[in-house]
Amino acid sequence: MKVEDVMIEMGKFPAVTQNTILKEALTEMGEANLGLVCIINNKQELLGLITDGDLRRKLLKVQKPFSAFFVDDALVHAKEDPITCQPGENLKEVVKLMGDKQIWDLPVVNQDNQLVGLLHLHPAIKKLIN
Amino acid sequence: MEQKIVTVGYGDVKKVQIGGTLPLAFVGGPCAIENRDHALFMAESIAEICEKLDIPWIYKSCYDKDCRSSPKSFHGVGIDKGLKILSEVRETLKVPVVSDFSDSSWAVATGEVCDMVQVPAYLCRQTSILRAAAHTGRPILLKKGQFMSPWNMKNSCRKLEAFGNDRIILADRGTFMGYNMLVNDMTCFPTMRYTGYPVCYDATHSIQLPTSMGNISGGQREFIPYLVRSAVANGINLLFMETHDNPSKALSDANTVLDIKYLENVLYQAKKVHEMRLELFNELGPDNVHPTNK
Repeated sequence: MKVEDVMIEMGKFPAVTQNTILKEALTEMGEANLGLVCIINNKQELLGLITDGDLRRKLLKVQKPFSAFFVDDALVHAKEDPITCQPGENLKEVVKLMGDKQIWDLPVVNQDNQLVGLLHLHPAIKKLIN
Repeated sequence: MEQKIVTVGYGDVKKVQIGGTLPLAFVGGPCAIENRDHALFMAESIAEICEKLDIPWIYKSCYDKDCRSSPKSFHGVGIDKGLKILSEVRETLKVPVVSDFSDSSWAVATGEVCDMVQVPAYLCRQTSILRAAAHTGRPILLKKGQFMSPWNMKNSCRKLEAFGNDRIILADRGTFMGYNMLVNDMTCFPTMRYTGYPVCYDATHSIQLPTSMGNISGGQREFIPYLVRSAVANGINLLFMETHDNPSKALSDANTVLDIKYLENVLYQAKKVHEMRLELFNELGPDNVHPTNK
């Protein structure tokens, strides 16, 4: 079983372009009810991602007013070079990696680092169990 | 972040490049166009000073002052007459010119004559005005509203970009501290600079005391040199000052315009401080204090 068999398709999880402000990125996360947002450039290459955990840690550090925080480019607060996987990878191995790293979501990129999907842990495990 | 360079000037005027580590540029003139002869006289007087100091400059004067405190105050010579005068100043002295516009329907004509169009501070988030400014195709001097935080100016920039114009210069003209009082928050320059656009300091409106005299605005022009030195040392790219040969008789902003007899002194200081800042950066590299939110 491969990652592509269970990954969430583009358009069905939060992915925003590099000029998106943090407030808009958070809104995307809220609407999709997922704990992360991917940031891509106009070639659809993955530049970084923000997770709920990143934000929680950021909230304890940020000193500027919230109104200023919200209009920062989301990319400023993103984790760059995140762990990713590829569509053709073995699902079981990737799920094991997610367990080792304690991550719930893994961006799926092709060989050109273009974002093509998102692997969410719950459906991946469900698929493996079934 | 890489900073954009904005070039002001079309045709055969002396173009002014603004941004990055380029020399400090100046934009100034009487607040309002009073008449043809006065406009030409002021432009020639400023040109003489700027040429002596080797400061690139843009002539600024407005044809319609739409935000005066009183209906009895001088409103301006009007768009037709005003643009004709600005055009003559431009042609005679080969200097780029700028005027603001307060009504979207004035934008096309303003952009046809002026090398740069100015968005008034009170209208800095007005979508229709921003759309009209963007569509002129000219560089835009976007004043930060006195009621706006510097970081929220990014929203106005995004509007201009969405309307197809990214030749923007962001200006601070003070921020309201309670009623009838403006202050300059010097962190606004690095904050606005973070948008990637050049930043401007409007010294003569920053010392304004808005409508402090009941039906007109007051001002404390004695603070102009202090604030200019501070803003230039901070890292602005463009200095804005309104100037007049007889401030007490000026038809607009009489309490804030800088008497032209002081202009050379203030501009000389501004140029020196700007050069000193660049020398320090050459020696030490740019500021690198780690932000607390990274």
